[in-house]
Amino acid sequence: QVSVLYFARSAELAGLRCETLRVPRQVTSLQLWEEIVRVHPRLAVIQDQVVFAVRQEYVLLGDQLLVLQPGDEVAIIPPISGG
Amino acid sequence: MDESKDVPKDFIKLKSEKLSVDEVSEMVVSPSCGAVSVFIGTTRNNFEGKKVIHLEYEAYTSMAESEIKKICRDVRQKWPSIKHIAVHHRLGVVPITEASVIIAVSSPHRAESLEAVTYCINTLKAFVPIWKKEIYEDEYSWKENKECFGANSEK
Repeated sequence: QVSVLYFARSAELAGLRCETLRVPRQVTSLQLWEEIVRVHPRLAVIQDQVVFAVRQEYVLLGDQLLVLQPGDEVAIIPPISGG
Repeated sequence: MDESKDVPKDFIKLKSEKLSVDEVSEMVVSPSCGAVSVFIGTTRNNFEGKKVIHLEYEAYTSMAESEIKKICRDVRQKWPSIKHIAVHHRLGVVPITEASVIIAVSSPHRAESLEAVTYCINTLKAFVPIWKKEIYEDEYSWKENKECFGANSEK
């Protein structure tokens, strides 16, 4: 079980900022995204723009294998606009 | 003067209150430094002909702080003579013309602090998870930095 955090446009599309999700311990970043879109289909429109932050490190959506521990933080990161 | 007070320090703050240029620049002043360089990011009142009413910022706070710490670490590697670094970013509603970000850096001579401040703001815009929403009269828009790291970086 991981904590999924939603920010900015992704929070608006998902309708929430935070939830726990049950996911496989090993999963590619793309598979993890697909799992999240299954729960929140409206997120599909931003698929080409988002990256993940897993344990506060950026991860692109793709084949990268994630090894997740219970309680890990996974954040959906839409294009940033700080400064 | 107590020399332990002059150890190089990073001052990083994300807050919803109004930012103060005086406060941020005074944090980095040091007796061994002849230069303090400051960047202030302020909010514009227009975008593509639309009137901007105000901005709203949100952040992945814990990661934003750690990414800013990484920027400070990189700055100290690239410019070892840098003394203090301060990065203050405002969150929540920011009215037009008020500062959304203030970066101040001190160094013995001016070249390093000027370069370091430029590096800080450019890298912040590319890597720090903070988002800006522009509120117009009848709609709003989530902005995207052209420097932004992520899916766009491959295009």
